Amino acid sequence: MTVAVRAPSVVGRFDELLGRPVSMRSLALLRVLAGPIVLLHLWPFLSSDHIYRDAFYEPYAGWYPEFPRAVYIALLWMGAVAAVVMALGWFTRVATATTFAIVAYNLFLSTTHFHNNRAYLVIVLAVLAVAPCGRELSVDAWLRRRRGLPALSLTSPGWPLWLLRFECAAVYGASGMSKLLDPDWFGGTVPWMRVVQARDELPGWAPSLLTNRDFYTGAAKFIVLTELFIAVGLWSRRTRYAAIWVAVIFHVSIQLSANVQIFSVLGIAVLVIWAVPSTRDRVVVVDERWVALVRGLDWLARFRVQPGSRLELVDRDSTVLRGQPALLYLLSRLPLTAWFALPALLLPSVRRARRT
Amino acid sequence: MRVAAFVTVVVVQLAFIGAGYSSDHKTFAFQMFPEASTWQADVVRVTDDGRRVPVSEPWAGYRWDALVPDSALTYPEVRHHADAGLDNQLAFLRSALNYVADHTPRDHETRYYEARVTSWHNDDPPRIEVFRSRVR
Repeated sequence: MTVAVRAPSVVGRFDELLGRPVSMRSLALLRVLAGPIVLLHLWPFLSSDHIYRDAFYEPYAGWYPEFPRAVYIALLWMGAVAAVVMALGWFTRVATATTFAIVAYNLFLSTTHFHNNRAYLVIVLAVLAVAPCGRELSVDAWLRRRRGLPALSLTSPGWPLWLLRFECAAVYGASGMSKLLDPDWFGGTVPWMRVVQARDELPGWAPSLLTNRDFYTGAAKFIVLTELFIAVGLWSRRTRYAAIWVAVIFHVSIQLSANVQIFSVLGIAVLVIWAVPSTRDRVVVVDERWVALVRGLDWLARFRVQPGSRLELVDRDSTVLRGQPALLYLLSRLPLTAWFALPALLLPSVRRARRT
Repeated sequence: MRVAAFVTVVVVQLAFIGAGYSSDHKTFAFQMFPEASTWQADVVRVTDDGRRVPVSEPWAGYRWDALVPDSALTYPEVRHHADAGLDNQLAFLRSALNYVADHTPRDHETRYYEARVTSWHNDDPPRIEVFRSRVR
């Protein structure tokens, strides 16, 4: 008797990809970072004496539920508490779902509440709410250890991570594409006029250079291509670090030049999801005095940190780095120092060490 | 099931991005800093006896800047940048006219609100439009 083995269909292969277990560490880290960002987002609502319907507002739909004033205010405070609990990782699933529900409810109360940064926050919270992102970096995990219970698996089907990666790239791609397709933007008229309109806020030396229209013929294309490069470059391992490095500059520049609420901090925080979703697959040997510091900064759990007499780093592909190249490589993989260290990986000495 | 849910989210997101090119509010379309357009409007109350009274003057215990605070709409007579684009800004202005018409019950003389809007789409020549609230 023979058994026909059918090759999996495209749908089957895609389902296998979505279900493949990967580390949820980056989403756990993003959850921790998202808590304070939600507080920043909610603060203008919480600190105001007024609520949305005391003045002009516009519901998206007549059937959308609106609560009495006291209930609405209590909901916002509950959202703030849930955000803190979410960041701590205590009853993580419930706290994250509650945070998402309240932030989303508030966003959809009125068209006047809508801003791109808030929409992005709702998307991020939605993904965190469905992902098992409370099994590490959380009070829940600490309580399990304390009770002597076995740790829950730190891997899980990767589809929430892939979905958030798509959304992240979509934000940059949609923004860049809309500018690319607009002749006024791509030709430089829009950025030039925006700077001219803000001329009074510029430093004294700036106007002659920054209000030169010819400058924006090239600058506009640079801005548009930067956004599109981030959207595309994040997907390839060859260009990912460059895209992340550029994205950080992009967000800092926007923060300095425009009022974008939480967009900059959220945009930079979400970049952690582009780390390869596997953990402890590199080894770094450092002086005993530095072990705790390296472990403390290794938020994405990329290293097994071991004490030793001299600095040594073993990469995933078994490449061994020592001395300065090892230090620079280590710093380039720690979230807090990565942006500063990544350009140093282009140094000939580091490149040579990686090849040998 | 998992594939269907994933693909649905992706398609819905792409649909929002596509719809952003024709919708006023560009919800989930992520079109950032879309224009350098500006606008200015003279907003008046048109009363039952035909008078046209600027809303910058308080009426029946109401003030425009209290009814429409915290936005570029608060002082429409001043030329403003349309942060999220002209379509978005003028859609808000039309909604604000209707909102004020519906939320000023002590006012028994205003028939409708009218905005004569001058808008400059980027560096295009100015365009003049007139918006009216619903008749009260």
